[in-house]
Amino acid sequence: MSNILEIKNLCVSFASDGVKERAMAVSGVSLAVPEGKTVGLVGESGCGKSVTSLSVMGLLSDNGRVESGEALFGGQDLLRLSDREMRRIRGNRISMIFQEPMTSLNPVITVGKQVSEALRLHGGMDAKAAKARTIEIFEKVGIPEAERRFKSYPHQLSGGLRQRVMIGMAMVMRPALLIADEPTTALDVSIEAQILRLMRDLQRDTGTSILLITHNLGVVAEMCDEVYVMYAGEVVERANVTTLFDTCAHPYTRGLMASLPRMTPKGQRLYNIRGTVPNLRAMPSGCRFSPRCEFATEMCRGEKPELNDLGGGHLCRCFYPKDDERPLGGIDR
Amino acid sequence: MAKHIAKRILITIPVLLGLVFLVFFMLNVVPGDPVTVMMREHVKEDLIDRMRQSMHLDDPFIVRYFRYIWDMLHGDLGISWKLNRPVTGLIANAFPYTLKLAVASSLFSWIMGIPVGIISAVKKNSLLDHLSMGISLFGVSMPVFWVALILQNTFKNVLPISGADSWQCYILPTIVLGWSSAGRIARLTRSNLLDVLRSDYIRTARSKGLSPLKVINRHALKNALIPVITVMAIQISSLLSGAAITESVFAMPGVGGLAVEAIKKRDMPLLQGTVIFTAVLIIAGNLLADVLYSVIDPRIRVE
Repeated sequence: MSNILEIKNLCVSFASDGVKERAMAVSGVSLAVPEGKTVGLVGESGCGKSVTSLSVMGLLSDNGRVESGEALFGGQDLLRLSDREMRRIRGNRISMIFQEPMTSLNPVITVGKQVSEALRLHGGMDAKAAKARTIEIFEKVGIPEAERRFKSYPHQLSGGLRQRVMIGMAMVMRPALLIADEPTTALDVSIEAQILRLMRDLQRDTGTSILLITHNLGVVAEMCDEVYVMYAGEVVERANVTTLFDTCAHPYTRGLMASLPRMTPKGQRLYNIRGTVPNLRAMPSGCRFSPRCEFATEMCRGEKPELNDLGGGHLCRCFYPKDDERPLGGIDR
Repeated sequence: MAKHIAKRILITIPVLLGLVFLVFFMLNVVPGDPVTVMMREHVKEDLIDRMRQSMHLDDPFIVRYFRYIWDMLHGDLGISWKLNRPVTGLIANAFPYTLKLAVASSLFSWIMGIPVGIISAVKKNSLLDHLSMGISLFGVSMPVFWVALILQNTFKNVLPISGADSWQCYILPTIVLGWSSAGRIARLTRSNLLDVLRSDYIRTARSKGLSPLKVINRHALKNALIPVITVMAIQISSLLSGAAITESVFAMPGVGGLAVEAIKKRDMPLLQGTVIFTAVLIIAGNLLADVLYSVIDPRIRVE
C-alpha cells in the first residue's frame, strides 16, 4: 500500500528572544501515513509532535524554521512548495483540526460562513451552493438544526458542537489527509467518544488518511492503525497498534503504558517516569532518554542509539529493547 | 438588540443630570459676582440689587438648579453675561466650524491611522514599522499648541494660519488635531492586530488555505478593530465638542474657542453651556461606541 504522506528526516528549529542559538524542536523525524489508515503520533507536551504537523502544513510561527528534511505528499515535497502552491493544498487536499475548539474558531464570524469559506475558495462555489453544501456537512457531522446553526456564532455552541464544526470545516473538501492535533483533549470523555466515532465514520465514507496527534494512549488504542512515539524531538518507537500495546520495546513507551491508570492491582501507586523532559538547548549526549531511564548504562549515556528494526516494521531507538528479565519499576505490563 | 440600545440610552439620563449638577455647582462656588462682572465699576447699589433680582440670583441654589434644568430641556442655556445673547444661539453659530474641523481631522486620523497601523503590524519590526510608529508616537506625545505653532511658522507663506474663511484655513488645524489622533489609532491598531494574528483562529484561517491578504481582511481586522472603533467614537465626540487649544491658536470661531473666551471673561452661563454641550457630546460618543461595539461583536449582543 502506498503512503499518502512521507516525512523524511525532518528537522525544525526555533529562535527565541535574547538567545543566539536556535532550539531544535524536531531532530530527524521520519514517518509515513499509509493511504486510508490512521497513524498516531504520541508523546508528552513539547516533544515536537505539533511542530512536526505544523511544518507539514507550512503553518509554523514566524520564529520557527524547517532546517532540513522532506514531506512527500502526492509526489510533491510540501516543504519546498511556494506559499501560493501550498495554499492550494491547505484546506483542500490536507486539512487540520486543532485542539481548542473554543479559540480555533473566529468569534465574530458565523460558523456557517467559516465552513463555507473553504468551499468558495477551493471548490469555486457561489455563496448559495456553498451554504447548501455546508448545511449538508453540518448534518453529516451531527449538528442538530443544521440550517439554524449555520447562522450561529461560535460562542453560542457547546464545546462538542464547536469541534464538530471544526471537523466539518476540515472534511468539507474531502481531503486526502486529515491532521488532527489533539482533537479531543479539550472535551470531556463522553463527548470525546462521540467525536472519535464521528472521525472514524467520516474516514470510512471518504477514505481520508488521518495523522492523529495525541498524548492519550486510550485514543490511540481506539483510533490508530500505526503509532509513532516521540520523545524530545525524535521518534523513539514505531509499531502497529497491537504490537505496541502487546510488546512495546522502548523504556519510554513502556513507562507511558505503565503510567496508565488501571483497575488492578488495587492499592498500588501509579507508575511515573521520573525526571523531566530535557531542555531543547541542552540535549543529553547519547540517548536522549538516558537521564530518565531506569535501565540506562554507560553506553546509553555516551552513544546515540539508532532506530533499529525489531522485525515486522517495529522500530525502536534503544540499545536494550524490551528485556523481560528486567521489569519496569518492579511492575511490568 | 433594540432593547440593549434603549437600556444604554436610559442609563445616560442620570449621568446627564448628575453632570449638570456638578457643573452648575462648581461654577456657583467660583468667587466673583456676576452682576459686577456685567456692569463694571461705579454702579449704584440698588441697581445691582434690582439686577440680581431680575436674574433670579437671590433664589436658593436648588431652585436655580431645577430652573436651569427646566430651561435646558427647552433648549435655553441662559443669556451670556458679556455678549448679552442666548448661549444656545452662540453655540449654534460656533458649532459648524467645529463640526467641519472635527469631521476633517477624524477622517484624516482614520485614513492615516488605520492603514499605518495595519502595515506596521504586518511588517513588524521593519524599518517602515519603526518609522511610522516613531511618527505616531511624536504625534501622540507632542503638545498640540507646540505642533500648531511649528506648523504655522513652517507654512506661513503657503497656507492661511488663522480664521475659517476658506477651506485652506482648515488644513493646518486638521493636521494638528488629526496627527495625534492618527498616532493613537495607528498604535492601537498595530498592537491589537499583532495580538489577533497570534491567535488560534488565525491559524485555522490559514490552514484553510486563505491568502495572507484574505486572512487579515476577513478574519483579523474585524477582531482587531473592535477596540479601535471604541476609541474612534470617543475621539470624534471630543473633537466635536471643540478643540479649545487648536481653535484658539488658529483663531477659529468654534465651540472650543467660545469656551476659552468664556473662561477669560468670567462669562458663567456661556461657560456652563459649552461645558454641558461638550459633556453631552462625549456621553453620546460613548453611547455610539457601545452600540457600534455590539453591532460588530456578536458576543456582546444581549439575547
